[in-house]
Amino acid sequence: MSEEIKVRVSPLHWLRQRIFLFRHPWTDIIEYVALIALIIWLMWMSTARLGYYWQWFRVPKYLFQIKQGKLVVGQLIKGLFFTFRISGVSLVLAFVAGLTTALVRLSGSFMGRILSRVYLETIRNTPLIVQIYLMYFVIGPILGLGRFGSAVLALTLFEGAYMSEIFRAGIVSLHKGQWEAAHSLGLSGFYIYRDVILPQAVRRILPPLTGQVITLIKNSALVSIVSLSDLALNAKIIAADTFLTFEIWFTAAAIYLVITVALSTVAYYLEKRFKILT
Amino acid sequence: MSEKELGEHIITIDSVSKAFIGGVQAVKDFSAKIRRREVVVIMGPSGSGKSTLLRCLNGLEEADSGTIIVDNIPLDDNRKHRLEIRKEVGMVFQSFNLFPHLTSLENVNLAQIRVRKKSQKEATKFSMELLNKVGIAEKAGNYPAQLSGGQQQRVAIARALAMMPKVMLFDEPTSALDPEMINEVLDVMKNLATEGMTMVVVTHEMGFAREVSDWVIFMDEGQIVETGTAEHFFKNPQEDRTKLFLSQIL
Repeated sequence: MSEEIKVRVSPLHWLRQRIFLFRHPWTDIIEYVALIALIIWLMWMSTARLGYYWQWFRVPKYLFQIKQGKLVVGQLIKGLFFTFRISGVSLVLAFVAGLTTALVRLSGSFMGRILSRVYLETIRNTPLIVQIYLMYFVIGPILGLGRFGSAVLALTLFEGAYMSEIFRAGIVSLHKGQWEAAHSLGLSGFYIYRDVILPQAVRRILPPLTGQVITLIKNSALVSIVSLSDLALNAKIIAADTFLTFEIWFTAAAIYLVITVALSTVAYYLEKRFKILT
Repeated sequence: MSEKELGEHIITIDSVSKAFIGGVQAVKDFSAKIRRREVVVIMGPSGSGKSTLLRCLNGLEEADSGTIIVDNIPLDDNRKHRLEIRKEVGMVFQSFNLFPHLTSLENVNLAQIRVRKKSQKEATKFSMELLNKVGIAEKAGNYPAQLSGGQQQRVAIARALAMMPKVMLFDEPTSALDPEMINEVLDVMKNLATEGMTMVVVTHEMGFAREVSDWVIFMDEGQIVETGTAEHFFKNPQEDRTKLFLSQIL
């Protein structure tokens, strides 16, 4: 498309361009691994002084075990499945909450706009940990929600608030000519959003939305404070039982990392796949 | 131009006014009647309110006062009326406003399927006819970004025609085009006029006005300064404001 312009560039300039313009998921992964290696090395140095006795060989049984020829899932992986479950449910609901809030905020309804604004500001300006406690001890019982339900509600409301801002930003970023063209064709509001506005907006907000999904997964670790045995709580219990503090927490961190990096990679390809030509 | 049989009034604009926030009076007490099969060109300096007036006709802008009746449907607060009118009135924009995530064919199909409730197959059949008519059938599978400005505008015309409108509004359809693409769009519009489409066109293309328009409205500061045939404007415009404007664009 663009014409090649021959310009002499210094090797340093060339290198800089490569580094800053070329971003492949692998770049992130390599950086991350390097960083982790650095941290491990630092820990190693400090624990060498502490005289920490590394026992990595004790870790695998908390992931998988083979008992009598059968694969048995360990505590950490069980916790991971729970993290998947709670994140997955919260994610779907947060999506709905976020989109609804954004649409209400952009609607003509005065009360709707105020309500969505109040919701957003309340959630955004208080700590999630407080919200989880509040849901669990106060609102959950009122609504008849159990432990899981309360935690899901807390995560949904929290992430939904942030997602609504992302959705709103994506929607208002579209040129008003798109609305006008859709209106002039006689399309109703529902179809305008469904066929014209959202398909374009969602593609634009894919990067921040991915970030929010990753935040959701990481934030789900906080539900361990109401004794839901997710990955974080199970790691804490095992670490306390075995004194394998570093080994277990590193393992748990690595598991979170694998999931989130995998998500980033998927999002990266989605973004390329559904890119809108302009 | 050859005489054609004009029908009854299809658009009635009665003392319409529209001011924008900040107090700019875009349209002032504007009245006009447009007949079926008529081609009306609206001219005027920028900021004279011609686009605003055009956009009032399908409810993209809401008039502050006055009445607009299109095909016997009053354009009022009733949302149903507005939707009905939009089904009958097609609009073509200066900046095309095609949907960039849809192909040409999908752009033309969309309203047929969603508003006219046609099946995918029926819609596609009609869309291809329309794309053929505007001479761009071979680009049916292309996305807007892959088309030139003139091609995009022709797809936009096909998209508006897909609703089988009774009236077509054109808001400076050639102003954003490179000079060599203007004619391909004007040709499509001329064909439409020949077929008897009722058209309201905001444009400065004098050649087009002369060739196909039945009459021309010259607007300034939201009001009609002068009306008449294109010939009249060429040969003996009456008002000084009109003369000045024409001397600048011709």
